[in-house]
Amino acid sequence: MLSLRFLPSTNFQFHTPKTPKPPRFPTPKPLAVRSVLQWNRKPELAGETPRVVVITSGKGGVGKTTTTANIGLSLARLGFSVVAIDADVGLRNLDLLLGLENRVNYTVVEVLNGDCRLDQALVRDKRWSNFELLCISKPRSKLPIGFGGKALIWLVDALKSRQEGCPDFVIIDCPAGIDAGFITAITPANEAVLVTTPDITSLRDADRVTGLLECDGIRDIKMIVNRVRTDMIKGEDMMSVLDVQEMLGLALLGVIPEDSEVIRSTNRGYPLVLNKPPTLAGLAFEQAAWRLVEQDSMKAVMVEEEPKKKGFFSFFGG
Amino acid sequence: MTTSYLVVLRPEFGLCNAPFKWIPPQSPTLKFVLRAVDASAISGSDRRAAQDDDTAKTETTIAATTVKDPHGKSQATVGVFPLVVFAMKRQEGSSFAIGIVIAATFFVLAVRIYLGRKARASRPPGSVADLVRRGQLRTRPLKYDDPFNNPLVKVGKSNSTVEMCGKVYRLAPVTLTEEQQAIHQKRRSRAYQWKRPTVFLKEGDSIPPDVDPDTVRWIPANHPFATTASDIDEDLAQNNVRQKHGVPFRIQAEHEALQRKLEALQGEQKLNKLVIDSSNAKDFERAFKSHPKSPERGEESLLNEHVANSKAPLPEWPPNSSGSTLSSEERQKP
Repeated sequence: MLSLRFLPSTNFQFHTPKTPKPPRFPTPKPLAVRSVLQWNRKPELAGETPRVVVITSGKGGVGKTTTTANIGLSLARLGFSVVAIDADVGLRNLDLLLGLENRVNYTVVEVLNGDCRLDQALVRDKRWSNFELLCISKPRSKLPIGFGGKALIWLVDALKSRQEGCPDFVIIDCPAGIDAGFITAITPANEAVLVTTPDITSLRDADRVTGLLECDGIRDIKMIVNRVRTDMIKGEDMMSVLDVQEMLGLALLGVIPEDSEVIRSTNRGYPLVLNKPPTLAGLAFEQAAWRLVEQDSMKAVMVEEEPKKKGFFSFFGG
Repeated sequence: MTTSYLVVLRPEFGLCNAPFKWIPPQSPTLKFVLRAVDASAISGSDRRAAQDDDTAKTETTIAATTVKDPHGKSQATVGVFPLVVFAMKRQEGSSFAIGIVIAATFFVLAVRIYLGRKARASRPPGSVADLVRRGQLRTRPLKYDDPFNNPLVKVGKSNSTVEMCGKVYRLAPVTLTEEQQAIHQKRRSRAYQWKRPTVFLKEGDSIPPDVDPDTVRWIPANHPFATTASDIDEDLAQNNVRQKHGVPFRIQAEHEALQRKLEALQGEQKLNKLVIDSSNAKDFERAFKSHPKSPERGEESLLNEHVANSKAPLPEWPPNSSGSTLSSEERQKP
């Protein structure tokens, strides 16, 4: 069992030492590792609120909805008010992942039709009351796509001017593909999180989607590499995170290891980041949320597992 | 019938000086009498005779009780053997001190039990704190609820390893530079040229003259979740989204239509007319459909209305209010 009582409670960020004067004949110098793990201070919110973030991937099944649920709840845990919009028009799942499926009575379609007000369609999470869910439509209804994208912009405007204050984050869970649902979801976004897995099918789609996002004017795109297996990377059966980055050329927001707890937490409708004790994937999501708040990116990645060094007193629990 | 037993405690086994007689609480069948006989109390042959007599008595009674009752047997056996407490009481002055010691022991025990109960109430059994107290867990309970104090994340001293959830991972620096990022962006901008569609048309419609054909998205009539048609126009939808207080627009409109229907019905009842006016029924349809019906719209609007109608009434409308009850009746009408 770990204990960090002896560690200082100050800003836990490591910086590279001051760069020395460049030598006349530059020699290839190994890059200094700059650790980026954060844990014992409150993250500082960067950028203007509300930060409208779309979580997209292109390919289906890479973990967009899981990422939305976990990052959303992590942000809520870090003290920011969050509205998560499930913009997956045809196949919505975010409510299931959050365990809020029984509480969704109204959606954006009803708000547009005038069947309810926006505040009635927002579902507040009871675990973290600064987290709210908004579904865009019911599974069997059709979204009038003529103003689907505009409707999301109106929604963000309405959220900005509401009584309890503007939310810090509006997180949009984008559907797979680049169809009408994708176009609707990316319309109000200022920044994007691209979720990908380290396999070529997912990477090709991710590259395409990044291209579309850049064409649409969204410049702040960061990626989360999901379902990483350090053991397979070590055996060279899986692309490493750095390989993925080399192919896509995007800043890293997070690296999420493969974790069987993800399936369990999905089945339970209880996001991973709320697990006690936290799992590896949950911690990774928490760190990614932290970077999202500060508009930071990873400076070092976990490569492989190392055997734990045992101290002399480890026998006695040291 | 009551039987009495006399047990003689012999002085040579080291018994107390004073004659001691103990009469246990009466049982229905047995009466047990213990008599400690001192050498000084009974003298000479009397003593010997009495002893023999009593011993014989005891033996017979023990034999009798063995047959009769095991409980009685054990009592008798205890009585026969010399008791240590009696030996301790040989010295007269120490009895008071022993009493104090015993009382103090009982007091300490009572205080200990009281404190234990009090402590148990504050730490429910089975909690992490309880496990720590019992030495099952090594550390104090971890605070996972607090995201700012995550004890499972630890960076190694050399800053090239990180320990998460008890596993150590080697770290490698990210090598992506700004230039590389820019190169990738350029590559993508060449590869994917795209304009976000802003106009959505049904397949087969003609493109309006002032619209860039690149920004048109064609939506087939059988698209699973998207439709180009809608019940309401854009301004109305925008107002609906912005509405913060009061009754939602459509609920209000339905309510007003029902009010008109009620008034009309009351007027009819006054005139005793039993004819249903077909033109009157059109008033109950939604008044906000402004644009003319397109051929595709029929099925979809029906579907949309069905979805909207299958909903439960809003909390603003109590279920027993006349408007709401009537509205459900009205909804069921074809």
